[in-house]
Amino acid sequence: MEYMGIERDRLHMSWVSSAEATKFIDVVTRVTEAVRALGPNQHFVKQKAKVA
Amino acid sequence: MAGKAASPSVNSFKAVKVNAMTLVTIDKKSWAAGLTTAADAYGLFGPVKEKDYHQFKALEKGEMPDLNMVNTRLSPKSLLFPQSEEMLEYSLDESREDHHIMKEVARDDSPRAIIGIRPCDAKATLLVKLNFDTPDVKDPYWLNAYEATTFIGMACDTPLSTCFCTTAGCGPYHEEGLDMLVMDQGEAYLAKILTEKGKAFADAAGWKAPSEDAAAFDAGKKAAEGRIVSSVKTDNLADTDLLELHAAPFWDDVAFACLNCGTCTFSCPTCWCFDIQDEVHGKAGVRMKNWDSCMFPIFTVHTTGHNPRDTKTQRVRQRFMHKLKYFVDKYDAGIMCVGCGRCVRQCPVNIDIRRVCELMNSFKPEDTCAVQG
Amino acid sequence: MSGYTEKMRDIAGRLLKECAVDMVIGFRKGTMPMMNEPCFVTKPEDVQSLVWDSNCGINLANYLANRKEKIAIFAKGCDSRNIVTHITENKIERDQLHIVGVPCTGMIDKRKITGMVAGEILEVSETENTIKVKTSDAETLLDKKDVLQQNCALCIHRNPVIHDEMVADPVQEQTDIDRYAEIHKIEEMETEDKWRFFDDLLSPCIRCYACRNACPLCYCPTCFVDESKPQWVGKGQDPIDVRTFHLLRAYHCAGRCTDCGACERACPVGINMRLLTRKLEKDCQEQFGWEAGLSPDQRPALDVYKANDPEAFIK
Repeated sequence: MEYMGIERDRLHMSWVSSAEATKFIDVVTRVTEAVRALGPNQHFVKQKAKVA
Repeated sequence: MAGKAASPSVNSFKAVKVNAMTLVTIDKKSWAAGLTTAADAYGLFGPVKEKDYHQFKALEKGEMPDLNMVNTRLSPKSLLFPQSEEMLEYSLDESREDHHIMKEVARDDSPRAIIGIRPCDAKATLLVKLNFDTPDVKDPYWLNAYEATTFIGMACDTPLSTCFCTTAGCGPYHEEGLDMLVMDQGEAYLAKILTEKGKAFADAAGWKAPSEDAAAFDAGKKAAEGRIVSSVKTDNLADTDLLELHAAPFWDDVAFACLNCGTCTFSCPTCWCFDIQDEVHGKAGVRMKNWDSCMFPIFTVHTTGHNPRDTKTQRVRQRFMHKLKYFVDKYDAGIMCVGCGRCVRQCPVNIDIRRVCELMNSFKPEDTCAVQG
Repeated sequence: MSGYTEKMRDIAGRLLKECAVDMVIGFRKGTMPMMNEPCFVTKPEDVQSLVWDSNCGINLANYLANRKEKIAIFAKGCDSRNIVTHITENKIERDQLHIVGVPCTGMIDKRKITGMVAGEILEVSETENTIKVKTSDAETLLDKKDVLQQNCALCIHRNPVIHDEMVADPVQEQTDIDRYAEIHKIEEMETEDKWRFFDDLLSPCIRCYACRNACPLCYCPTCFVDESKPQWVGKGQDPIDVRTFHLLRAYHCAGRCTDCGACERACPVGINMRLLTRKLEKDCQEQFGWEAGLSPDQRPALDVYKANDPEAFIK
């Protein structure tokens, strides 16, 4: 995704066990902050289909 | 069906023929100036080079069509029949009074002209018209665009080795489907005005210098036809039994290499199949029409999941049978092919319609008859 | 590769006469310059139609998936790696195949050659190292190494990795090849430039799916773009849908692609979609030391777990 032009911080991957509530909160906080910092996604968003 | 001159040809188009043939000469400066002037009254489309290939595109103001092309990669059929086209729109927002009501999409059917269309592609338009304009059913999307279009053809003086138009019902100076045919005389263009539409365009462009040089067209035509080196034979297709041809032994061999991609059908000026799709984003929906291809397995999948054309051989046979047999039988207007050679040049695995046509045309179902007899 | 044709006809004739196989898959001479057509032969008397030259770029492994016959197939280096992948992925049984290895010195790039000469190309002939191109008013002699398909110029597995017999002795493998120079360049671009680069790259796409269908890896009974229940991707020409198709197609080839170049060769509008598949090839190479299709005894990178697998992307 990054290679194709989607910002690195928009996509996150994490492993969280059901017993790791604290880690889950950390991850969610980190992801939210990172994505918020980037602002709304400008690419790879399809509104009404473009026709040609 | 070159031999059947008397067959009802595809000339039911509304563009009224002008009685006395009018020739005008257009020096190359007036050509550019005329197009610029005509652009006030017409949207202009023409071939332009993009990346490695020529394509038909809307011309920007002042942009000139590049007539130094032989064949565009895709045919200009997309100007009347876009690859994706919106048909209807609707809203799923129940707070609106008109929710769930299909509405026509606003369309631009103002006059436009295709500059530099080749005679083969123009003839193809008339073959496509047989499908979109029938006595019972009329496709308003295609027809409105067609009615709005003036076809300014460019005679084809340098055909390719894969052009076989002269044996596919047209030719490098063929006039069917055109409103004006233009030939390049080096210093100037010589234009033959063929219809009222063509005359209106010439007037709008201010091309008025008359010419008497009808012989130039005849000579050009003869020379260009002499440069066509490729041909197909189609004389037996109509008389060969349909089911026998369908059961012919060569289809597995013809189809083996086929990838079932859409290159041949998408590049073909006469392929007209489409699929209708709804796309909804949020509460706004559109119903659109997209090119489809008989090469794709899902082309024939039923809602039950059953696919009557489940194998590659069946699909390849369908394409060639439609072009070279079903169409011939149904319309008696020749084959559904104008010999532009695009599928021949572009097929990734070199399946050649000329070879298949030869197999079909020379097919003699003797063995099968003997068994049945 | 001159002389291969005769040898191939001998081999095919022998195998069919001995009834060692039901069919032989190879190429027959095309009707266009620089084109040959994949074909099959089932009778010894028909082997004369088989040919081999530098225009056999279509990957014949593509014609094997799910076949039930006993088949002899001619396999270049890349084809043989895709045959290995087919065997690993249970698309064909090793016992069904008689693999005739074809040491390959590369296939020529018809688009590149077309761009190098003026006028329509009427005839192309070749010797071991040269390509002669004839147009209506000129003859041009080209060095074969200058007009190879790019994937062939970058190829490091010209010899078949699996075979039952060979058409000729192995050829010299190319060394000191930087397979990923272009990929590095894209990786170094700014995010916005990357997005624009791929927008531009994919803009001519007409969604004919020739790239997908020419690929031996794409054998799903129903491709995700063709699914309608649910429908994953729009079917029109919206650039997002076009990009989704290309991106996902490339992902589905991750760790499987042999860079045979069939996709790029098949594309009617000249898109180099290998820029996507090669990025994934590079990642598999760098992160898992994996090259696809080298041996049927190895499990692919994406279906094994190793304790030292890189996991920096998991946060």
